Amino acid sequence: MTSVQRKKAASGFRGLAGDLRKAWPLYLMVLPGVIYLIAFRYIPMLGSVVAFQDYSVFKGILGSPFVGLKYFEKLFSSYDFSRIFGNTLILGFIKTILLFPVPVILALMINEIKRTAIKKGVQTAIYIPHFLSWVIVGGLVFDILGVGGLFNNVRAFLGMETILPMQKESWFRPIYAASSIWKESGWGTVVYLAALSSMDPSIYESAAIDGANRFQRFIYITLPLLVPTILTLFLINIGGFLDLGFEQVYNLQTPMTYEVSDIFDTYVYRVGILQAQYSFTTAVGLFQSVIGLILVVTFNTLANKYTDDGGLW
Amino acid sequence: MKESRSDAVFAGVLTAIMILFAVVALIPLVNVLSLSLSSKVPVEMNRVNLLPVGLTTDSWSYIIGNEAMWRSFGLTVFSTVTGVVLALFLNAIMAYPLSKTRFKPGRTIMILVVGTMIFKAPTVPYFLTLRSYGLYNSVLVLILPHILSAYNLAIMRTFFKQFPSEVEEAAEIDGCGSFQTLIRIVLPSSKAVLATVGLFYGVAIWNQFQHPMMFISKTELYPLQLKIRQLINAGGDITGMVVRSNVNYNETTLGAAAVVFAIVPVVAVYPWLQKYFAKGAMLGSVKG
Repeated sequence: MTSVQRKKAASGFRGLAGDLRKAWPLYLMVLPGVIYLIAFRYIPMLGSVVAFQDYSVFKGILGSPFVGLKYFEKLFSSYDFSRIFGNTLILGFIKTILLFPVPVILALMINEIKRTAIKKGVQTAIYIPHFLSWVIVGGLVFDILGVGGLFNNVRAFLGMETILPMQKESWFRPIYAASSIWKESGWGTVVYLAALSSMDPSIYESAAIDGANRFQRFIYITLPLLVPTILTLFLINIGGFLDLGFEQVYNLQTPMTYEVSDIFDTYVYRVGILQAQYSFTTAVGLFQSVIGLILVVTFNTLANKYTDDGGLW
Repeated sequence: MKESRSDAVFAGVLTAIMILFAVVALIPLVNVLSLSLSSKVPVEMNRVNLLPVGLTTDSWSYIIGNEAMWRSFGLTVFSTVTGVVLALFLNAIMAYPLSKTRFKPGRTIMILVVGTMIFKAPTVPYFLTLRSYGLYNSVLVLILPHILSAYNLAIMRTFFKQFPSEVEEAAEIDGCGSFQTLIRIVLPSSKAVLATVGLFYGVAIWNQFQHPMMFISKTELYPLQLKIRQLINAGGDITGMVVRSNVNYNETTLGAAAVVFAIVPVVAVYPWLQKYFAKGAMLGSVKG
């Protein structure tokens, strides 16, 4: 260490100590939150080492023997892994890409409603499901698709035989998509409607006077207004590609549809927590976390680079 | 003139489509309400669609009179209220220093905060760690894991940044410490952001499912969502009652009544939810 460096370090330390003396109430105020984050968010990450151990509850994390990459080898060669990874990718694709335009289209349509009362009424109706839990939504789905449910009653009316969609593999993905639309697409319009409401109506009128037809006005006025929001949300959504949420899938799946419905989160819960295969499922979870980390960081960087609003941080 | 008439037709068609969409969106709710108010026989004969058939409140009487249901309800109300109060306090006292540029470690601490959005502990180590804190089968697991999220903290911090610093400086000259300035001066004029963030935490705690699913195995500690799922799924403790022929409900109608029971409180506070959630959705990112 040169004397300059030493001086800098010393003054840095004195600076902190002085700051602490001067602004100690501020330090004291952040302390509970910092302790909380460490205890509830960071320490659990350290527990990931059990993926490299033969973890046993009795020996604990400190006493269990290390086994290297044994569980990762088991993971990459297991059939379950390719199945749940595939399912996660498919459901992630449905949620973040296939269904992405739905709220945009809904917002554009709501924006065309001229009567304020009707507009408010429509918004009120389609926002409600956002506030219901997946347990409730799952309950509604099972009711509607059950033997005597609305779905089969309509089928009977049309002269079709009764079926049980919840027990059929081929029905799981459409049900997943439909329930996603019902619960979240209405609420998803909020951000777009806010962007649309910032539009100056006089621009629209003068374009109409200049002879722009409806389609041209949409392409040259409305769409450019929405593009920044669309791009930002799209990139942030892809960043969260793997965060499908345990709750939706768990409340919609039945043992008959595990083959197509199991994702990382539900598999880890069933095999890890319920059957106590801790080391193996931590390896599964760690794989998911690392891929998720790469996705979030990549797409947040892209969002910061290419959009005005930028990414999450 | 011709253009504007076709505009009106176009807008009319879109309005009609959206009204239809909104009505369809409400059908599942109407359906479950009808089921909960229908008699056993029409339900078993698949005759209940949008209106109750053989109107009866028997399923409702059963749910309202079910002690376990109310225990779960009380537990959920308790954990939601306690959780929101704790969360608002913890978030406010943390966001306030972080909103001050003169608070030197602010940048470092924000990295710690943003880090929780990037690095996520896998489920199993998370479970093992919280269990080692003694949270397994503890009421606290319904509250503690949910009282500090990076996103909500950022909303508060952004709001505090916009607070006029002259007012705070005046308060400090009058002898208020930072903590007192926050409690006496800043928070009383932050009601909108407190309501927004409070409702975010409240809905998250009220609707939570994954944490109780992992950590609660004792049925007497079931929060509302778990209780509802138990009723929907297996018929739970009601199966014994249902086989009796002199009652006018079955698993379907009881499940439906339980679902409506859980929806009612949400609908009751819905005007506030709609207002403040929309505000929160606009507030966006952690930066700034």
